[in-house]
This record gives sequence, C-alpha cells and structure tokens, in this order.
Amino acid sequence: MTTNQTLSSSAPGAVAAEAAASTPTRRSGGLDVRGLHKVLGGRTIIDSLDMTVQPGELVSLLGPSGCGKTTTLRMIAGFLAPDAGSIKVGDREVVHLGPEQRPSAMVFQNYALWPHMTVAKNVGFPLKLRKAPKLSKSVIAERVEAALALVNLVHHKDSRPARISGGEQQRTALARALVQEPELLLLDEPLSNLDAKLRVKVREDIREIQQRLGITTLIVTHDQEEAMSMSDRIAVMNQGRIEQFSTPSELYSAPATEFVATFIGSLNRLEGRVEDGRVVGGEGVVGIRPEDVVFVEDTDGGVNGARHSAVDGLAATVERVVPRGHFAELYLRREDAELRAFVTGALPSVGARGYARIEKWLDFADGKLVRQEVAQ
Amino acid sequence: MALPPIVLIALFIGFPILLALGFSLGFTGGLNHTISVIGQNVHEAQGASPTFGAYGDLFVDRRFLGDLGVTVIVTLVSTTAVVVLATGIGLYLKFRGGVLGKILSGLAVVPLFIPVVIASWAILGFYSADGFLRSVFALAGLEFPVWSFSMVTVIIGSVWTSLPFATLLVTSGLQAVPQAMIDAARDAGASFWRVVTSVVVPMAGVPIIIATTFTAIGILGSFTVPYFTGPNSPNMLGVDMSNYFSAFNQPQQAVVMAFVVFIIASGIAAVYVWANFRSAKESGAV
Repeated sequence: MTTNQTLSSSAPGAVAAEAAASTPTRRSGGLDVRGLHKVLGGRTIIDSLDMTVQPGELVSLLGPSGCGKTTTLRMIAGFLAPDAGSIKVGDREVVHLGPEQRPSAMVFQNYALWPHMTVAKNVGFPLKLRKAPKLSKSVIAERVEAALALVNLVHHKDSRPARISGGEQQRTALARALVQEPELLLLDEPLSNLDAKLRVKVREDIREIQQRLGITTLIVTHDQEEAMSMSDRIAVMNQGRIEQFSTPSELYSAPATEFVATFIGSLNRLEGRVEDGRVVGGEGVVGIRPEDVVFVEDTDGGVNGARHSAVDGLAATVERVVPRGHFAELYLRREDAELRAFVTGALPSVGARGYARIEKWLDFADGKLVRQEVAQ
Repeated sequence: MALPPIVLIALFIGFPILLALGFSLGFTGGLNHTISVIGQNVHEAQGASPTFGAYGDLFVDRRFLGDLGVTVIVTLVSTTAVVVLATGIGLYLKFRGGVLGKILSGLAVVPLFIPVVIASWAILGFYSADGFLRSVFALAGLEFPVWSFSMVTVIIGSVWTSLPFATLLVTSGLQAVPQAMIDAARDAGASFWRVVTSVVVPMAGVPIIIATTFTAIGILGSFTVPYFTGPNSPNMLGVDMSNYFSAFNQPQQAVVMAFVVFIIASGIAAVYVWANFRSAKESGAV
C-alpha cells in the first residue's frame, strides 16, 4: 500500500481497469480526528473521541447499535456538525466544510443509488458536478467506464438500479465513491443488506480494490467477523468512546477491556478468579475463550478418573451440543462453573461425562484487563 | 372479478358518452330524440353519415374561440402557479421544516375545508370595486385595480381551490425521497439547487406530474369559480357550456364544447398514464 492509483487517465473497457490499477498519482491522505464531541437530545453521543488513520490504511469502527459509530462517520463525512473537535484529512482541516466540499466519498448503507438514473449516470454524477476543472463528456464517460470496470459492472452500465441485484447495487455505490478519487473512503455498514455468501465475496472485493488503490478507508460495522477479516486496525466503540484501537489479532488476544473481550469473539465471563485450574469466587472478573477450554470425554468409565482429573481438569458433564459447521460448541457443567468450549472432530453426546481444563484466561478488574494467564 | 366495475362504467359513463357523441354528430333519434326536439339550432345527420354542423357553428364563432383560449390560458397559468407553490411549500418542509414549514403546509390545506362557492364570494368581495383591498389602498391614497369579474380572480380562485390537494400530493412525494439519496448527492458535490433539480424533484417527479394532471383537469372543467368571479365574456368553457345548454337552448353546441374539453383532458390524462408507467418502470415492475 505504498502507491495510490487514479481512475482519471484510463481508457474505456476492460483495459481501463488495468490502466486504473497501474497509474500511480497522488497519495491518499490520512485521517486525524481530535477531541470530537457530540451531544444529541441532552445525551453525549460522542465523548472526546481521538483517532488517527494512516494513509492507505483500512480501519473499521466496530461496536454495538447506539455506540456512536455511525454518528462519528457522519461527522467525518460532513453530514453532522460536531459540537467540538477537529477533523483533518491529509493536512487539511475539514470540520467547517459541508459534505460537498470534503475530499471524502461515502458508500451508504442502503447504497442510496438514484433510481431515476442508470448505473453509468449514477457513477458519473459526481464528475458532472466538478467545476474546476470542468470535465468534458468524453472524459466523464471514460472515467465512469474505468470505475465500472474496477467493480466488474460495465455490462450493467445502462441498467437502472432497480434492475440489478443487491451485490451489484453495492458495487455501483462503491464505483460512484471511487470515481471521485477521494482522499478518504467512508463506508457505512456496506455489507449489512447482503446475504451471508455474497457478503464474504463483496468484502473480499472491497478489500482487494482498497489495497490496489491504496485508499484510506473507514468502515462502520457491527459485524465483528467483517471487521476482523477486512481491517488493518479496528476501533472498538462503546458509549461514544473508543475502547480499544488495535490490529484484529491484538484485539482478540489482548483485549484491553472486558467490553472488548466480550464483544470480539466468544467469552466465558465469570465472577471471581482462576486458582489451580478452578474458578473461585471473589472480586474481579475472569474471561475464558471457549477455545481455551479443553474437554476430554471419559471413555473408560471413570477407571482412570484420578489420573484424568490431575491431567485434564475437573469433572464435567456435557449439557448441550451446538454444531457450528466445522466446529461445535459444548455447554459444560463443572462443579465450580458452567463453561462453553469449542471442539472439533468427534462430538460427545449430551449427558456425556469427562474432564474440562482451562488453558488460558484473562483477569479483569474494574472492567480493565489486569493480566493474561496461562495454565502451568 | 373486474366485470362488475366494467359493466358499471360502461353503463353509466361509456354509454352516455357514446350517446352524446352521436348527438354532437347529428344522430338525433332514439334517446337523443327529446332533447333534439326541444333544442334550437340542432343539426341532423343524413341517414348514417354524420354531420359536423354543430362543430362548424362553434369553430367559426369568435365567442367560442375566445372562451377556448381563455380556458387553456387559465388552466396553464393556474396549474403552473399551483405546482410551483405546492413544490415550494413541499421543499421548504423537506429541507427546513420547523414551525414556518408546518404553518405553510397547514395553511395550504385550509381551502379544502371551505366550500368553493363561499370562497368564490369571498374572493369576489375582497377584490371588488368597493372591496377590502381597494379600501385599504384608498386609505393610503392609492388606487388598486378592480380585479373582480376578471380572469385574475378566476386564476386566484382556481389556485385557491386546487392548492390543497396538490400540496398534499407533492409534499408527500417530496417527503418520500429518502434522506440518504440527498446525502449521497451532497457527498458527490451537489449544491442545494443541484440536489433539488437533479435528485429530489426527479425522484418526486411522478407525484408532481400526477398533481399537475389532477390540477389541470380540475381547473379545465371548473365551473363555480369562473361562474361567480369571472366576467361575462370571455369566460371558461364550463360556464359557456351551461349558457349554451340552458340560456341559449343550444344543447348540441354545448355537447360539442364538452367534447373539446374532453379531448384536452384526455391529452392530460395520457400524461398521467405515462407518469404511472414511468414510476412502475423505475421500480422494476414492468
């Protein structure tokens, strides 16, 4: 992601895509948000938010409904004025500019394609509005062709949005944003209206195009899988604040707060602490990932029970088995706690007895991570 | 399923239209017999070949041609004024909202609850030689023109009566344009007027066209407003038809006028059908 390409000097057709992908021009600007604050209806929606997105980086704003992620995105796009704070794209302060003056382009949740215009006209509309310099019709047509080639939609250029599928509409919206050669690309829940299979395909497409063009991108999503698979970094938001801003793997392995640990992936959340492989009550919270709970079924009728309990943890009974495709989720009852475990391979049946061991766990105090522990 | 309404329309609308068409072409037998006996200046067809005598009477009559011209002009001017006002109110409500927007859209609907005949008298009194407006101007030593019994009051009255329905239609059409469509246009770099002209109005185009056609057909066939507030001549065809039918006892000529209005209205109705078709096409239904 060291170079950025443009759609401006491309030839029509499939060649255009190659031209678009191979013509290095200017570098995408980064995004720097400082002290962003917004109160709506007497409630603080965004609370002194700071965030820096490096040029060419893809960052996700991830959080539950109502955490303020869309409000943040709308303030960055210019649709909502913050009560305080600064928003810089590249070196330019944009906080006082309207959306039409900002160097950003947005892909909306419902795509917001204008139904009275064809796909090509939708994509060409931002170019038609350019004043300095004013673009000729042939240049606009070329750039539209190149943008549509980039998202594989040239064959649909004369179709109305109502005539194309949801995935194609999504790609049209993406082309309309990319044709503007924005310094910053904003996507508001871009995949939430697509079915599961198409979602995976389109998110790969978006990531691939984003990397090819090296465009600084901010995506709002509530889908952790989407954020984890696409992003260079993820900002996990909660109640108007960023709880943690890290790479996907760091978020998962070292969540800074109990909220992040619960929101990203699955977690056994128990009051107390782990001592000698056993959960004991007390102050604090312990978090155990289900994949860090190992279950061994007792297949010899308890003959070697003593040996098992020493090596494989405490006696446990399987209460529920939930198949999840390539793995299954077990609901286990131990004498100290109820635990969920992920297992692969042969599945125990409900009521099966065995032993469950905790391999790794996270200790939280006052909602913050205190330490990560690994069983000896 | 569709048969009962079709039979109803055929019996109570289609059949009388055919009967009237026959009468206008000189077929005076059967159910047209009585009226052709009572009426004056009735042209009769020779056997099966129709006569265009009644049409000929009117199209050389300068009075009719003047009335036709006035009808078309009043319809055009009033419809334009109604659509511009309704769209303006709708846009204000959409983009600014607030108390003023609500007051404007509320006021625009008030005429719906005032009978046209009362409104016509009020308009007449307001603009008459000894009316409110001239009296107020006279206090300041100014002379305001007399607008009562002129086409000006007919236009004002037509706008007054047509504005509520058009405002309801257009406002709801404009409100239905999703905010995201407007945001997307602004994000693409569009100014306020560009958003209005390229996105909002085209997207609400179908309701606006439907409001236009309803308004135009309503004004074209209006009677009460021009009858009460308009001049003796030239006046709109609705009033003229009534005069020809009852005062001049020339029912055949009155029916011909009705057909002329009907043909103009059909043209407007074709636009309505086209607008609905376009709407269906945009939503991918056809």
